[in-house]
Amino acid sequence: MKLYEYEGAELFKRGNIPVPEFALATTPEEAKQQAEAIGLPVILKAQVLTGGRYLAGGVKTVHSLDEVQPTAERILNTKIRDLPVRRVMVAASVEVAREFYLGVTVDDYRGMPLAILSAEGGVSINRIAQERAESVVSRPVSISRGLELSDTRQMCRQVGLRGKDMAEVSIILKSLYEVFRCYDAIIAEINPLVRTKKGAYLALDAKIEIDDSSLYRHTDLDLKIDERITNPLEREGREIGVSYLELDGDIAIIASGAGLGMTSMDVISQRMSPANFLETGGAITEELLYKVMGLVLRKEGIKGLFINVYGGINPIHEGARGVVRYMKEHDVNIPVVAKALGNHQEETWEIFRENGVHVVTDVSTEKGVEMLARLLEGGR
Amino acid sequence: MSILLSKDTRVLVQGITGRAGRVQTQWMLEYGTNIIAGVTPGKGGEVIEGIPVYDTVAEAVAEQGAEASVFFVPAPAVKAAAIETIDAGIELLVVVTEHIPVHDVMEIKEYARGKKIQIVGPTTPGVITVGEAKMGIMPANMFTPGRIGLISRSGTLSYEVSINLAAGGLGQSTVIGMGADPVVFTSMPDLLKLFDGDPDTDIIVIVGEVGGIQEEKAAEFIDRWVTKPVVAYIAGLNAPQEKRMGHAGAIIRGDGKGTPQSKIAALREVGVDIARYPEQVVDLVKKHLAQS
Repeated sequence: MKLYEYEGAELFKRGNIPVPEFALATTPEEAKQQAEAIGLPVILKAQVLTGGRYLAGGVKTVHSLDEVQPTAERILNTKIRDLPVRRVMVAASVEVAREFYLGVTVDDYRGMPLAILSAEGGVSINRIAQERAESVVSRPVSISRGLELSDTRQMCRQVGLRGKDMAEVSIILKSLYEVFRCYDAIIAEINPLVRTKKGAYLALDAKIEIDDSSLYRHTDLDLKIDERITNPLEREGREIGVSYLELDGDIAIIASGAGLGMTSMDVISQRMSPANFLETGGAITEELLYKVMGLVLRKEGIKGLFINVYGGINPIHEGARGVVRYMKEHDVNIPVVAKALGNHQEETWEIFRENGVHVVTDVSTEKGVEMLARLLEGGR
Repeated sequence: MSILLSKDTRVLVQGITGRAGRVQTQWMLEYGTNIIAGVTPGKGGEVIEGIPVYDTVAEAVAEQGAEASVFFVPAPAVKAAAIETIDAGIELLVVVTEHIPVHDVMEIKEYARGKKIQIVGPTTPGVITVGEAKMGIMPANMFTPGRIGLISRSGTLSYEVSINLAAGGLGQSTVIGMGADPVVFTSMPDLLKLFDGDPDTDIIVIVGEVGGIQEEKAAEFIDRWVTKPVVAYIAGLNAPQEKRMGHAGAIIRGDGKGTPQSKIAALREVGVDIARYPEQVVDLVKKHLAQS
């Protein structure tokens, strides 16, 4: 789960990573009061879970108190990559002398934490790594040993930092690693960390993503998951316990696994256009598929439905009952094609056939999609 | 014996007294798996499906000679259980459990490094040596005995590919679900190496998907070491960026890593035939078999 900048900054404070004084505002009036308390100039920053805030006008430095309210109002009314801005961070503005990049992430393939330091910050770390590789160093970390100050000092030296820069940055990088470990982060990033003209070292941004699987042991963080999923259908999918993603097309998909869902999308995309990705996982019941039907058919203009399920641990005959019950109760009259194989396949086929679902008994997803395409071309 | 598991492997079930552990133990036994013990701390002395239950893995090893273990242990308990299992000298561990914190997975992975244990998963449907034994939750009737080694990141696609192979008159030696998490214990190159050295496997099929760099690393390994023909299918050609496609590890990150295009290009570059859809795997496998 991605954290908002202000949530990340709070974790930084807990982890002894210095951040500029800041407060959070949900209205322009609040922003003005906070700017007054913090002292001008302040920087107003839209709190959204996406990049591109600067280009979208979501970050503005304000020098006079009169400007705070209108600027905050503009930011609160901006949409950044389609995301509404609900909160604005009001932070003390500082004069920057130098910028650095600090990050800790998971090296998936090695299965180890990876500490990253760049002597330059403020822009994309990938760009720095490509254009000036000598400015960037990354170091896999033994998770049982941890990242020591001696390691981070060496990293600082490798990118040419000396003196106070080395001393301060090495401490903050070690602290960032501790935050990463303490909160089960999969990404913890400061871009940029700055040295101010007054000689202070401050994290001017906070990007943290926490491993969803670890949230059970971080209940103290009080992170609201639902608010982060802005698509209402995706939120509903999460509530009923399936993975749903909305796509642009008009052919709905129900699959019993992630891989099978992706394959269904790929095959459908050849000649039609998928309306969604949906995978049920291994917990199919009649009730679940009844709800899933309501979810995938909710979008306007759905032309057809493709069901692709395996009866392994899933009782697909029970799932089929949920599908046909939904169709009856809601008078579904688009073509529905089902490929259902494995345990209880014959029973499943019978339930489907008796209720107007077209059953593919062939083992290939392509054949199923072909059938759906023919039904759509032929009209009904 | 194909790879990792045979009908003689002495299998322990950890978490045997839970709902999933109990049901799956019954199905694994029905398939012919040589299950000799179960472990649930606090439940020692019970008998499940005729199998004696112990409090600790060390007892299961000492009294029943357990060699391999399959986990139906709840996610928060996996780290401690895995360390116990590694310490007890188990050689193969199959972690079916989903939603294990990735920091725990990294800790277990590091603890196992350099030790004589192979860990499959997490979030894996399991390992099945077809016609002999299975450790995990894969439905037995999806597979047909044969000489194709199948490595899949997705459970359902291992079924889809196997059922299509069966329709084409072909079967598998061993089928392995690598697991759907971003960090997995056993990599694709590790498994390629095992299949390449297996006398019961003639050809290897990889089923990959978006996210991570397993397929790219597999391509490097194939180029240098693999002598047998390899066929691959990669799912998620139409997956949008920055969206998790059901599996925790199936995500194309903003840095552009993990795209299906990169995987397909890397594999094709080293001579791997790429199937456009699961069904096409059958034709490509047949082409190779006709050549040999």
